[in-house]
Amino acid sequence: MATTLPARQTPHATGRAGSAEPVHRADVAVDAASGMLTGVDLAVRTAGLTKRFRSGQVAVDGIDLEVPRGSVYGFLGPNGSGKTTTIRMLLGLVGPTDGRAWLLGEPMPDAAARVLPRVGVLVEGPAFQPYLSGAANLARLDAADATADPRTSRRRTGDALERVGLAAAARKPYRQYSLGMKQRLGLAAALLRPRDLLVLDEPTNGLDPQGTREVRHLVRELADAGTTVLVSSHLLTEIEQVCSHIGIMSRGRLLAQGERSVLTDARPARVVVTTTVADADRAAAVLGSLGLVDVVRDGAVLEAALGTPPETVSAALVGAGVPLLGLEVRRPSLEQLFVTLTGEGFDVAR
Amino acid sequence: MSLADAAVPTAAMPSGSATHAAAPTRVRGAWGRLLRSELRLVFGRRRNIALLVGLACVPLLLGTVLFVTRDSALGGQGPGFISRVTENGLFLVVAALFMCLPFLLPLTTGIASGDAIAGEAQAGTLRYLLAVPVSRARLLGIKALATLAYVACAVLAIAVVAFVVGAVMFGVGDVTLLSGTTVPVADGVLRIAGVAAYVALSLTGLVAVGLFLSTLTEVPVGAMAGTVVVAIVSAVLDTLPQLAVIHPGLLTHHWLDFAEFLRLEVGWGVLGQGLAVQAAWVAVFGALAWSRFTTADVTS
Amino acid sequence: MDEQTDPTTSATAGPTTDATGAPDAGARRRARRRWAVPVAVGAAVAAAFAGPTLVASAGGEGLPDRTAEELLAAVAQAEPQALSGTVVYTARLGLPEIPFVEAGGADPIALLGGSSTLRVWSDGEDRSRVALLGATSEYSVVRDGAEAWTYSSADDEVVHYLLSDADAARYAELESQLEQGPPPEVAGDLPTPEEAAAQVLAAAEETSTVSVDGQTTVAGRDAYQLVVTPRSTGTLVARVVVAVDAETSAPLRVQVWSTQDDGAPALEVGFTDVEFTVPDAAVLEFSAPAGADQRDVVVPLPEAPEADAARAQLGTDAHGLPTHPDVTVTGEGWDRVVELAGVDVASLVAGDPEGVETLPGGELTIGSPEAQELLREFKPTDGEGGMELDTSALYEQLTTEVPEGRLLSSTLLSVLVTHDGRVLVGAVPAETLRDLA
Repeated sequence: MATTLPARQTPHATGRAGSAEPVHRADVAVDAASGMLTGVDLAVRTAGLTKRFRSGQVAVDGIDLEVPRGSVYGFLGPNGSGKTTTIRMLLGLVGPTDGRAWLLGEPMPDAAARVLPRVGVLVEGPAFQPYLSGAANLARLDAADATADPRTSRRRTGDALERVGLAAAARKPYRQYSLGMKQRLGLAAALLRPRDLLVLDEPTNGLDPQGTREVRHLVRELADAGTTVLVSSHLLTEIEQVCSHIGIMSRGRLLAQGERSVLTDARPARVVVTTTVADADRAAAVLGSLGLVDVVRDGAVLEAALGTPPETVSAALVGAGVPLLGLEVRRPSLEQLFVTLTGEGFDVAR
Repeated sequence: MSLADAAVPTAAMPSGSATHAAAPTRVRGAWGRLLRSELRLVFGRRRNIALLVGLACVPLLLGTVLFVTRDSALGGQGPGFISRVTENGLFLVVAALFMCLPFLLPLTTGIASGDAIAGEAQAGTLRYLLAVPVSRARLLGIKALATLAYVACAVLAIAVVAFVVGAVMFGVGDVTLLSGTTVPVADGVLRIAGVAAYVALSLTGLVAVGLFLSTLTEVPVGAMAGTVVVAIVSAVLDTLPQLAVIHPGLLTHHWLDFAEFLRLEVGWGVLGQGLAVQAAWVAVFGALAWSRFTTADVTS
Repeated sequence: MDEQTDPTTSATAGPTTDATGAPDAGARRRARRRWAVPVAVGAAVAAAFAGPTLVASAGGEGLPDRTAEELLAAVAQAEPQALSGTVVYTARLGLPEIPFVEAGGADPIALLGGSSTLRVWSDGEDRSRVALLGATSEYSVVRDGAEAWTYSSADDEVVHYLLSDADAARYAELESQLEQGPPPEVAGDLPTPEEAAAQVLAAAEETSTVSVDGQTTVAGRDAYQLVVTPRSTGTLVARVVVAVDAETSAPLRVQVWSTQDDGAPALEVGFTDVEFTVPDAAVLEFSAPAGADQRDVVVPLPEAPEADAARAQLGTDAHGLPTHPDVTVTGEGWDRVVELAGVDVASLVAGDPEGVETLPGGELTIGSPEAQELLREFKPTDGEGGMELDTSALYEQLTTEVPEGRLLSSTLLSVLVTHDGRVLVGAVPAETLRDLA
């Protein structure tokens, strides 16, 4: 299997029909008889999930999501790439045009009554009754939960508010909350009860850097306690660090998914060779002879896609008598991976 | 305080093995709990309370006007039951309901029912309720019950205030029926309670229509206006003799049949027919609302 | 999968999609089934409401055949029944649309057009109550022997009709002889199937052919249908159909068909439900409510029906007075046209009581009973009009200008008011009246 990937090959994934190389986990095996996945237990799974709106617009195009239990799954993609519609289908809010979805091993939306009490959600920003206080809003959601014990309702809402740091503002009407407080209340609603799965859609929206850090901390904490977290964001850098798994959406398609380290490692690194200006031409020739492509020369610095092990490169350069002042292997970041896959940039800035 | 600093009750969090726990079981009385919560929401909302107060002002205003003008040349004039109010305060209940029936009560019903689903959709709270999860049919049922309760309260507010104002301003006495017969006060009060009950039940069809419209849109004002328009169009159609064939089935056609309670022999058949028509509208539009709401995509 | 595929890709991609991820057509099928529910509910509701009507319009079969003569005799001999029921009166007279409903209260004027509902109670003797139901009002006519009341809830007004002392004594005497005297005439009387049938059938055989039509069902009761067809062709009345209860021989419905309209009867008065039981005594009592305006009207005691008929032949009117000199009768039977001279039309339509005085014997038999009924409706019930309607505007609206004067033409009745103050009335085409004028 070749491992070279032309770095500038832009819309390579999006241009193709069907599943553009959904990256499947190597350790997932399929039981031939039942077709059920074995090996790894999946908290969220979809098969060919598709949503075509009445306008004809295909918001989600046959995606096969696989979120292993216990993982923190970063569901990444720019705004409008279909993340939220996917999440709505997972929760039974939107009916899929085609395909199926399972949460915690049970089919959705049929098993919603059984499954959803174990799932905490934050979908497309917080939404509460503006004229009710934060506590009253949580109490209302708690009252709506047919599986919640009314006797412990007050404790649940109190704990949830405490946890997101809203205990002091519990009695304030929601409409007086700042954007960050609203977001926290949304998280509190998701954490009303112990959950097996958290689906957090853009949880850092509206939060300042401190708030964003807190969310990351919270997610990590929940994951450590065993909760699976599916967290979507269009701001890659904000959640990249906490994710164990990554799925990349663009224009309704899932371009890649898998363990984060595997995904990034799999992408071709670039080698940066520093020599002298006089030897640069020779060095370039050596790199070319090694079969490295996309060689870029900038004075005494050469850069190329790393198609062979770095030690081969260094040996060849030294063998050719090129003074090797420095050799660096640059692994691609998640963002570079994304740009590579979609040809689109992430919204790095807020 | 930060999220991170907050004390985390680790014990409450599911452990790795707990992720395979069985589904939580339903607690008894869940329906009642959600209904109470919904009623608190409806009756805790300032707009809704203001509306009730506004409706309660109608008999107060009407009573005052009649009281002030009762010795003038204008006294004892006016449509319907207004001319009788000065003789017997009990008729203020009927007169006030009669005055509110063409527009104010449909407006109240429209606001309450149009807001039921569309209001949640607009606020975005609908998706969170459904993700709790609340089954859509249950949510629709709860919303319908809460709306009905609110509409009943609106009628009750008018009736009670009218009763008090009428009793204070004009006194209460034996009731002269439309047939010219006079019945004792107790009988009269019962009959007038019947009027209020019939008026409230007459609005159930409109509640169903409003709920259905409310499932069609995320703009509550649209559903509210639509509901009021349905009531008005129905009243207009009711006046067209060319459409006499469909008149008995119109939503508003039987609304004034509450007058049966004020006849010598209450025409139970007539009242029953009026309620049957309401039941038919409830059945059809309730079913439509259910179909729509349980199949619609919630994208708000 | 191409060459550049990620190493993490395993060979499992295909099967995971296909094996368990069957395309979810079920959800859409379920959605479609959901929409079938309101359709089914709608159908059920429609069936529930239309069903009884369909069932009611069927039936009426299987009664033993009876001839017209037998039926007429049965109706004539039938004792008046104690009953209570609901009557719907429908007039399709082809008059210009008048906003009767907006006029507010229940008023006999509403009988001119559209559909009216009445409740009828009778003890089968000399006590009865007929109530015309308005949306939020009621107009009642209560008879109790020699006395009668009308009560209009819209005006809170009672009119008490009673006999003079002399007449009262005579009434008591009559009552002891016949057990029942003729009831006093009440202005603004309300129609019931019973009265309408009595009027039609009284002299039916002289001027009409009477036949039996198919059986029918009225107010859920099996009934025979008597068809009275005028022999004359000069009248607007095509035929009168009387539905006679098979069990009690009580008339249940009268339909008057016009020659102008074959689609629906021009006048129809019939029970929609009826029970032949003695009504509650309280219903038949009346005492003026406190605070109501009350007027007493002393009316002359009508003659016994036999004498009445005889006098009509001799040229006296129903009130036992000699024929008014200003009344001319042309034609006979259905074609009869009555001409009233010297009517002060202007003050009459203005609701001026003086105008009423100039109207000679409005209760005269004019053409057909229906024509008479109609004329009576046009005549203001009393000096105050008893109605909020602007009568002159109503007059303008109902009549059209013709060279001879102003003409009212309906499907059953024509009225011509000439410029020189004559009024011609008859159940005949308008041309007949204009020719006579």
